Amino acid sequence: MKLHTDMQVVRIHDYLWEIPPSEKPGMLVPARVYASPAILAGMDRGVFDQVTNVACLPGIHRYALCMPDGHWGYGFPIGGVAAFNLEDGIISPGGVGYDINCGMRLIRTDLSRSEVQPKLELLMTELFRRVPAGVGSRGFVNPTRRDFRDVMRQGAAWCIAKGYGWDEDLERIEERGCLDGADPAHVTDYAIERGINQLGTLGSGNHYLEVQVVSDSGIFDRPTAAAMGLTGRDQVVVMVHCGSRGFGHQVASDYLKVFEKAMRRYGISVHDQQLACAPFRSPEGQDYFSAMNCAANTAFANRQVITHQIRNAFEAVFGESARRLGMQLIYDVAHNIAKVERYGDGEWLVHRKGATRAFGPGSPELPACYRAIGQPVICGGSMETGSYLLVGTDQAMQDTFGSTLHGSGRTMSRAQAKRAVRGDQLLRDMKHHGILVKAVSMSGLAEEAGFAYKNISDVVDTVDHAGITKKVAELKPIGNIKG
Amino acid sequence: MPGHFRFIDDIALADMAFDAEGDSLPALFDAATRALIESLADPSTVAQTWRQAVDLEAPDIETLLFEWLGRLVYFKDAQGVVFHQATLSLAPTFDQPGWGLHAALTGAPVNASTQDLRSDVKGVTKHLYTVTHEGGTWKARVVLDV
Repeated sequence: MKLHTDMQVVRIHDYLWEIPPSEKPGMLVPARVYASPAILAGMDRGVFDQVTNVACLPGIHRYALCMPDGHWGYGFPIGGVAAFNLEDGIISPGGVGYDINCGMRLIRTDLSRSEVQPKLELLMTELFRRVPAGVGSRGFVNPTRRDFRDVMRQGAAWCIAKGYGWDEDLERIEERGCLDGADPAHVTDYAIERGINQLGTLGSGNHYLEVQVVSDSGIFDRPTAAAMGLTGRDQVVVMVHCGSRGFGHQVASDYLKVFEKAMRRYGISVHDQQLACAPFRSPEGQDYFSAMNCAANTAFANRQVITHQIRNAFEAVFGESARRLGMQLIYDVAHNIAKVERYGDGEWLVHRKGATRAFGPGSPELPACYRAIGQPVICGGSMETGSYLLVGTDQAMQDTFGSTLHGSGRTMSRAQAKRAVRGDQLLRDMKHHGILVKAVSMSGLAEEAGFAYKNISDVVDTVDHAGITKKVAELKPIGNIKG
Repeated sequence: MPGHFRFIDDIALADMAFDAEGDSLPALFDAATRALIESLADPSTVAQTWRQAVDLEAPDIETLLFEWLGRLVYFKDAQGVVFHQATLSLAPTFDQPGWGLHAALTGAPVNASTQDLRSDVKGVTKHLYTVTHEGGTWKARVVLDV
């Protein structure tokens, strides 16, 4: 098999591959890549270079991991997972990503496609109006600086207290939508000024709001799907993909500068400037962790405000309350984050960068409604091909620090995609295939064409076969909002 | 001579990258600035109803360009604007070694109905970031996170 690397890649099984520490000077642990043979062969050189760079970072535990949706990223590859010793390990913004707590949220409804289809144009127009997207978009919340500091500390709970959601939403958000240790004192004014008007906005790039359908044949595990509120029968659900917007990006940029200096102070050298890091227990490491938690909480709040607006849009279009429409939250997961988590007899700082927490059944961190079945995992695909709902497993707890994939992963650059198709043509093609798109930017739409991504079914099958998450349901798009 | 830029495909799969160059530092900064401005929106569709003067200093040219481009991204979010153009001047600093930049930036509040909006650039990264001066030509490579 021809790979985009000269390094030795050893087969563990058909869906897991290992690069031994002998392949790069400084590797402290092996690097492991979850991929089918075909996905592995298609992975870009950056995956192999970057996951082995991660394996060199101080305090890394067991493996540097990359999921099957992996591709080149800044510092860590997208799809990267690594756990570090709390006492002598590091924390790295490059292991979290610029869009701190970028994540996925899935909301169920009792509506069927046949009920929604006649009003789909009106529904998408209403959603497009209520959930601002694209360059420079601003939300309706208009928090004061004092409010925004409360958002940083309280996350989704701040929104619930303001009436932007239901009390029961909180238990269905990772960490109940609020990470401890968020202190706004560690956030710059620049970050606050970039983020204060963006609550309730989607952004652009690969972020989206999608109306989807779950067919009977799209359910792989009926009892688990039912426990998550999915019954099939062309049931309509709504998926949201976005994060902490400019606020999180500014936090990451601010601390990359801090860490470049800190590395010299602590005598840390890295293979890539974007892997700038500091000891977790150092003042710089703790300050970043606190600021990162502020951004993560703001992202939870952002998705909560968007949920509020989605419910309002459905109420306006269907003339029923969101509760009568059965619009409960299924789950909300982060896929750009670093968190202290317990595995075995120790605690580790787990970085997930384009990777999702996937806790298995019995995990005490899960709400009662999911403790018996495992954590819902929301995997977003391209806007043309659909998405998946999966569930965490015991094997993930043993092998991947309770982690799995986050999406399908790009295979084509944005510029290549724009050369291959015009946005307005893609809009017409998607409408012809039953997907109604509302987009702020036609060039931005073309960049997100389905052919620019890996086949999501192949990617999801990899983690299913590897056992680190199991498929629950396939979600097919009928409406999409892009920035 | 004015500088020029081109977007490059193969080094940032999920994001955007450009090379800028010019036969002088102002030409390089002008080219890189236009590349970022055009990443956000077609400047010919953006009016000049918003104006901002910017003064920046940095210990070296590489840092100055990075900070300047980052400041554009900041204004985009903090002020909710996209840009028409920036008029730049550069000079060595007097009180300590380094460079200073003065910019007159124009643009308008974001309006999707009148402007051709493009990518919501979230930041300027250090990935493969370089500023070089070879054979009388200043060159920069910049990767933007979108």
